[in-house]
Amino acid sequence: MRLVDWMMRRGHVSETELVKALLTGDQPRHLDRCDLCADRAAELGRWLDEVKAVADAEVDAAFPSERLAAQQAQIMRRLEQADEPARVLEFPRQSARVARETHGRRVAPAWVGVAAAAGLVVGVISGQMTARHEQTATTAPPIAAIDLASTPAPAATPATPASLSGARPEGPSLLDMDLEAYTPDTLRVFDEATPRLIASSYTTVARR
Amino acid sequence: MAGELLQTSTSTREADARVAVDVRALQAAGRLDAARERYGELVGRYQRRGLRIAFHYLRNTADADEAVQDAFIKAYTHLGTFREELPFEVWLTRILINGCLDRLKARRRRERWIAPPAVDADGVERDPAEYIASRGPSPEDHVLAEERRRQVATALAQLPERQRMVFVLSHFEGRTSREVSAMTGLNESTVRVHLFRAIRRLRGLLAVRSGRKTGSVGRSHRAAR
Repeated sequence: MRLVDWMMRRGHVSETELVKALLTGDQPRHLDRCDLCADRAAELGRWLDEVKAVADAEVDAAFPSERLAAQQAQIMRRLEQADEPARVLEFPRQSARVARETHGRRVAPAWVGVAAAAGLVVGVISGQMTARHEQTATTAPPIAAIDLASTPAPAATPATPASLSGARPEGPSLLDMDLEAYTPDTLRVFDEATPRLIASSYTTVARR
Repeated sequence: MAGELLQTSTSTREADARVAVDVRALQAAGRLDAARERYGELVGRYQRRGLRIAFHYLRNTADADEAVQDAFIKAYTHLGTFREELPFEVWLTRILINGCLDRLKARRRRERWIAPPAVDADGVERDPAEYIASRGPSPEDHVLAEERRRQVATALAQLPERQRMVFVLSHFEGRTSREVSAMTGLNESTVRVHLFRAIRRLRGLLAVRSGRKTGSVGRSHRAAR
């Protein structure tokens, strides 16, 4: 009997002593004599057992046998991976270097830029020059056209309300013309200069 | 009875050591498939126990699952450093506890920046699988058991880390103070002090909770005083 137990608890054992007795199995003699302390020890034992049972039930509920089996399978898979570490695939840097070495000469990237800029400038200038040349060519009328077009072309009349209301424009209307027989004046020269193959073929057939 | 237990414990310890030595030899011989198969015996033997420890420590099923997996992998890959004079279980538990501590640290760092996950009223993160109805006891029994479980879990969660770990290892796993000392790296007398404090605090917490429920302080609480 400890002095402190004798003085403070009227001889009854402390909670610490009870716990020690339960966990180590060393039962104090006082428990044989004192029913109150024996009851306390029994109650503490029941309480500890209940807490253990409740905690075990909680773990069992959280980890059913299916989950345990799945976990074991996962552990075995991971062990397999640990035994066979993943192969490190080489980055295709080496093959690129080999290709470069076999290629031989290498052009500096700065020169590529300079060449691209020069090409752009040349392209712009030649584009400008071509555009100017075409402009001058279209503004000067062809000589043949000047000769052939002796009669001045009728001035384009704006579609005034008067023209729309029935005043006929100068020159033949498309409705009035015989399109089969009509040949524009400007094309007549070419028409006359062209050998009439169809007519000649007709005449040869007729001769036969 | 105690002698029988001691004998069983010794035989288990010897069997574990034999398996560990075999696995190591197979690894060295390059017979990795056989090594893994032999190691699977140890996994099956200590998986549930490891989960129990990790779950009580981390209070989260997914974290506990990963911590146990990591512990087994680490033990397998570092089997060369295992000394036969120490029980394999103690060695494995020490690896597991260190892993749990790392996870707790990481979780605290994470929670400093990120909002914590959805938790129930007791602050315990719940696995959605737990909500699925199961065959078994009646709904009333289920609710009562769930309530009691929640009370104990909450009371356990309120214990300081060391006290909780010592209590779980000593009481739930039935380890001696010396074994707990080897597993946690704490002094043996410190283990005992933590254990007494844990029990006292748990009794107080559970008595207060049941007192709140019933409106009176329970007998156990009076006895504790």
